[in-house]
Formats: sequence, structure tokens, C-alpha cells
Amino acid sequence: MDLSLEYALPVLTDPIVIGLIVAGTVMGVVIGALPGLSSSMGVALLLPFSLYLEPIPAIALLSALYCAGTFGGSITAILINAPGAPPAVATAFDGYPMATKGEAGRALGIAAVSSASGGILSVLVLLFAAPLLAQVAYSFGPPEYFALGVFALSMLASISGEAPLKNLIGGCLGLLIATVGIDLTTGVERFTFGVPELYEGIQFIPVLIGLFAVTELLNQAQELGRERIAVTVSALKLPSLDDFRRVKNTILRSSCIGIFVGVLPAEGSTMAAMVGYNEAKRWSKTPDDFGKGAIEGVAGPEAANNAATGGAMVPTLALGIPGSATAAVILGGLQVQGLRPGPYLFEEQPGLLYGIFFAMLLANILFLFIGLLGAKVFSRISLVPRTFLWPTVFALCFVGAYGLNQSMVDVWIMIISGLVGFVLKKNGFGPAPIIMGVVLGGLVETSLAQSMIIFDQQWTGFLSRPITLSLLVLAVISLIGGKIRSVLRRLLSRTNRTA
Amino acid sequence: MKIKRSGPSGSNIGTAAIISLWLAGATCLAQDKFPVRPIDIVTHASPGGGTDATARAVVRGARVALDVNMAVLPRTGGGGVVAMTYVNNRPRDGHTVLAITPTHLFAIARGQGPLSIDDLVGVARATDDAIVVMVRGDSEVQTLAELIQLGREQPIKWGTTQIGGVDHIAGAILAQLAETQLSVVPFSGGGEIVTNLMGGSIDAAGLNLTEALGQIERGDFRALAVMADERLSILSDVPTTVELGYDVVFSTVRGYIVLNGTPENRIEILERGLLESMQQPAYHAYLEGSGLEASESIAGREEWDRQIRRLYNDARAAMIDLGIIEQN
Repeated sequence: MDLSLEYALPVLTDPIVIGLIVAGTVMGVVIGALPGLSSSMGVALLLPFSLYLEPIPAIALLSALYCAGTFGGSITAILINAPGAPPAVATAFDGYPMATKGEAGRALGIAAVSSASGGILSVLVLLFAAPLLAQVAYSFGPPEYFALGVFALSMLASISGEAPLKNLIGGCLGLLIATVGIDLTTGVERFTFGVPELYEGIQFIPVLIGLFAVTELLNQAQELGRERIAVTVSALKLPSLDDFRRVKNTILRSSCIGIFVGVLPAEGSTMAAMVGYNEAKRWSKTPDDFGKGAIEGVAGPEAANNAATGGAMVPTLALGIPGSATAAVILGGLQVQGLRPGPYLFEEQPGLLYGIFFAMLLANILFLFIGLLGAKVFSRISLVPRTFLWPTVFALCFVGAYGLNQSMVDVWIMIISGLVGFVLKKNGFGPAPIIMGVVLGGLVETSLAQSMIIFDQQWTGFLSRPITLSLLVLAVISLIGGKIRSVLRRLLSRTNRTA
Repeated sequence: MKIKRSGPSGSNIGTAAIISLWLAGATCLAQDKFPVRPIDIVTHASPGGGTDATARAVVRGARVALDVNMAVLPRTGGGGVVAMTYVNNRPRDGHTVLAITPTHLFAIARGQGPLSIDDLVGVARATDDAIVVMVRGDSEVQTLAELIQLGREQPIKWGTTQIGGVDHIAGAILAQLAETQLSVVPFSGGGEIVTNLMGGSIDAAGLNLTEALGQIERGDFRALAVMADERLSILSDVPTTVELGYDVVFSTVRGYIVLNGTPENRIEILERGLLESMQQPAYHAYLEGSGLEASESIAGREEWDRQIRRLYNDARAAMIDLGIIEQN
């Protein structure tokens, strides 16, 4: 790739481009934060407007919105347990408990820094290694996706602090939700009850809003009579340098995970955040703190979901294959502009690479400032009396669920999810395993069915693919590794005694 | 108006005359004045997808051509059924236009949704993206005949987007005519098929030209046949299925229809407006960016309407053969 400044300078110094990036970033944070509006929808909404711009400013605007929108979701996830967008779902697992403990500012600060670090790292990778990394996309077929899904699911039993059995039951419920709709490999309708809105499956966003925000609303409504421990001004405090030192490794690990998952076509920030959270917990010295307000539980998913933005742009630009749902919309935007993404794009349009690269880099830096400066302002929301806050959240939830497809079916799904989530919560079930089941269920099932066709219905086929095999072995180790270790320890102590 | 000598009183006649004149004027006005309200282009795809992008590219120029505000209205879900139900509940006055793809026609063939094929009246076609049979560039298979021969020994792993979708039906009909075997591997999108064909998980696929043009140009994929009547200008050395003796013509088309019962003159106005927009340089640039040739994509009412019916009939016959639907 030709990295000469000749093409970069006109982009970097164009005030219109810079203005649009700033606008895209601010809009992205707001759209990301509003429950129901995600970055993919924000980019889609801006697409018609971007048609009136030149290609480079247009794509700069859309990419800035993509980056900032992925961060924005964490704000509402932390403050009101309503993940503003699907990628922020894992952030709520620990972010909201932090806010209820009076550490909203700390959680927001960690989220901003982790997001920006993950995002910037991924943009650098995009600039320097895109053609090379794009080849990874080709080595990932259905068997590899199946193994990746199984690996992620192997953390299911221990994802939240609840009893492993309850986590597994919750996970199964999630898998069941994921089966609704027309099955991809057979074309058969499952659990649609003749409702056309369910042909393509239950939408993720209404389930998400229901399970988190509506459940929390019902929960709060029960405690209105009780005196709340006043959340002090400590809520406005930003994280300390020590905090950052603690999450440094988590951010680095999650960034790598995020870039990798982002590069894979079809899988984007949500999956990245889920795996980022799992691994943060797996490598933590204090895994029992997760789900109760661990800062690594915020840094893990936030670094991963923003790292996935740069990763997702790799196959989008280098191969013309979208790396995520939002990247697919940006790809559409490039085509409407008359540009054809693919191997020749950068040779034909060298300025474009700089436009995208610069927009994403600047957006990450900008939302870091918005996030850190805003943390003090946003965290005041956790000081708003519940009687005002939650009814407002409730209204927002309805708008979010309805606005997705202008469909009442989605609103009902949200309400039912909220009620189910509330009953489950009262009985000691957390939302995390359910969400994990919903996110991964379809992937695992579909990729298994596809793999079996590819392997002519021979199970042994999985053993012949090195990536698949190693991921499956990792999954098995993570399932029974603890048991093996304790057995080994017992054997070792016995041999020591006999010696 | 002629006033008869014998008859009701003059003033009555005068009133009748005024009323009838006013009525005539109103009808005349209604005929001239279309569109009077903003026109909705209803799509079944979520914002950002191909159907949405095409509709927005068309609307951009059509707003000017028809001198009216136009909006792209996504009614997603149900493989087009939600969008068809919505349009069916709107007045058939030309202010609601439905963007259709083979997905809609196949849904109708399966008996889903409120519409029958006779309800559709073609207005104009925006894109015609032919299905191209392709294999990996380093494959031993050089021609369609060789692929067919290979399938007779061992089923060809054929990537498609959806069971009962256009590329599945196209592959199945070809296999039937050529007496070869397919093992269908469904994926959720063209991008996934490209990566899996590249990665070697599948042997062949019927991809849209626009989905794999880059790979074909670079030699990563080898195009064996175009499922069309005539060769594509961009792939002029690739034979068509018809040339090779298999009457299998399928493409992913995107075009616009109104429902039967819409006044004839309004359909004409819509057709003129949409076609004028599609002839603008901006729309041509959009087609070019996707890898399509304007003259092969854009078509007026007559050609588009004929294609809708042909696609529907071919798909229905194939679905009966494949056992997806029953004949009745």
C-alpha cells in the first residue's frame, strides 16, 4: 500500500472532513447511547444524507459514527442497565453494578479509555495489515465458526456469579429463543405461529431492552418504598491511574480478540464483546468479583467491541465482504457513491483509505474526550431520583423497541422479555447466560448444520481442520480444566506423601 | 353544454351544467395532478442493504423527475410478506410503490402473504444482476460440462443463500436438466458464500455477478456460465447457460411494482419518472460501482412485467418439482 503523504494531506487538512468527523462522532455517541438505536441503524439513517457529499467526506462521516456509536452504548448500559446497542450488552454485566455501588464515573471512565484504546489499536492494524489479515477471513468456514461458538459457550456455566446449573438453564432459554424463525439449512419455520414478523427470528434488540431495562424497572418499582442508600458524590469520581494499570492487560487481550472477531465476516462487535468479557473473567485472579462490579468486566467487553470496528473494516475494504452489520451498510454507502470495494479500491482511490483511517482514528480520540469529560456529567444520572429516572427510561424503551422496525410485535417481545427476566431474576437467574445463548445459539446451530453437509455427515471431518480442532480442544480444557487440575493436585500430594 | 328547449327550469339546468362542468374539471384535474402526495417506495430490506441502497439511488433522481417528495419506507420481516401486506392495505392510487426482488415472487409462489401474481403490475426495473456459476480459480474444472460431469460422480457442494431462494432454485433446475447431483449448503449471504468458496468449504456456487466481480477479475474465481439469455458485456468470454443447451435463466432483479387497480395513466407517469431518474449520471455511477451495466439493468414496464411473470412461473414449476410446494 502506498503510504505517501501526497494523498493524506488533502484529507487531513480539509475543514469539511474534520467538521463531518466531529459531527459523526457526537451523533454516534448519542445514537449509541439511546436504547434501540444502534450504530448500524445510525449509519443507515445517515446514508441517504451522505449521498449529497463527495465520497471521502461521506465515508469519513459514516465511519466516525460507526466508531462512536459502538462506544455510546456503554453509557446507558452502565448508568441505567439499558445497553444502548447490542455490543454494549456485556458492559452492563459489571458496569451497572458499579453504578449502583456509586462508582458510575469510574465505570464510565474505564469504558471510555478501554474503548478508545481498542479502537485506535484496531485502526492501526487496519492501516498496516489489512490485506494480510483479510486472508484470515477465507480460512474461517462453518466448522471454524462452530468451534468458535462452542469455545465461547464453554464459559456459559460460569459467566455470572449465580449457580452453574441456573446459568445453564438460562443459557438453554437463550438457545431456545434463537431457534425461532425460518431455519437456514432446512427452510422450515420454527415457533413462528404464522406471525410473519417472526419468520426472520426474534429481534435481538427488543429482547435486550426487555431483559435489562424493563426487568430493572420492575425491580426498582418494588423497592420504591424502601430507603435507598444515598449514592454520594463519589459517583462523579473518575478512575485512578491504578485502575488503568489494573486493566492494562485486559485491554490488550480484548483488543486482539476484538480485531480477530471483527475481521471474521458476519461476526461483529457483539460477539467480540461477549468473548472479550469471557476471557477477561477467565484470566482474572478474582473471577468471583465479576457480575458484582469488576472494572475488568467493563474494560474487557469495551476494548473488544471497539477493536472489532477496525477489524470489521478489514474484509469490508480489502475484499468487499462486510465484516459486520454496520460495515455492510458502509459497504452499501461506498457502492451508492459509485466505488467498488475490493482489492483494487485502494489503488484506484488512495485518498479514500486515509479518509477512513483518519476518520476512525479521530473519532476514537474525540469520543475518549467526550467520554472522560462527559463522565462527570453523565454520572449525575445515577443521582436522579428513581421516581423520575425509571419512568423516563420506560418511555425510551418503548420508543427504542418500536423504532427498530416500526413493529408492535417487537414491543410485545420487549414487554414479555422484561416480565420473564423479572421472574427469573427473583429466582436467582441472571440475564448474562440468556443473552449469551441468544447471541451464540443461531451461530452454533447453523454452522453445525452447514459443517455436516460439507463433511458429508461425517463427524470426523471436524478433526481434519486444524483451527477447528484447536478451538474445540480449548473449549474442552476450559470445561474440565479445573477438574483435571484438582485431580492432578490430589495425585501430586499423594505421591509426595508416599515419597 | 347544449340546453334543451323542453325540460326542467332553466336555473336547474344551469346548476346541473355547473355541477357537471365542475365534475369534469375535477376529473381532469385529478388526471393531470398526479402525484399529489409524497410517494412511498416500500422495501422489505433493512436500511443499508442492496434493495435499500438501490431504492435510495433511484429516489434521488425520481424526486426531481416527478416533482414530488419521495421516501424509502422499510417494512422488514417475513421475507417480503410484511412489506406486501402493508402495500395491500394502502389505496391503489399510485402513491405507494413496492420494491420487489425474486424473494417476493417466491413467497407468492409458496402461497405466503396476501397477494397473488396477478396483483402485481410492473413499473420499471432498476437492476438485473445475473447469477453466474463459478468455481475457485485453481479448480481443475474449466467448463460447465466438466462441473456437471464431476457432479455425476460425487454431489457438487453448492453454496446458496437460502433454501428456496433464487440461487438454490437456479442450481436445482440446472442440476435437474443436466442430470447431475447437488449437495446444497445454505449460507446467510453472498459474502459468506464468497469466503467459503475461496476457503474451499464448497465446490461451486451461483453467485450474483456483483457479489464476486472482484474475485473473478483477479482470477480467484472462474466463471463457468452466466444464467442468462445473452452474454454479459463485462464477462463477454463467459458462455450463457442457454448457449450451452440448458434453459435456466435466473437473476437477482430489483424493480418497482404497483398493485393491479392503479389507474393506467398514473402507472405511465411513475414509469416515466423512475426511468428518467435511472438515466441520470448519478444512478449510472451507482450501477457501475456495483459492477452492473446500465443498459442491461434498466428496463421499462413491458420488459420488467414479462420478466416478473417468467421468473414466477419458472420458480413455481421448480418448487413443485423439488417438492417445496404442492401442485394444485
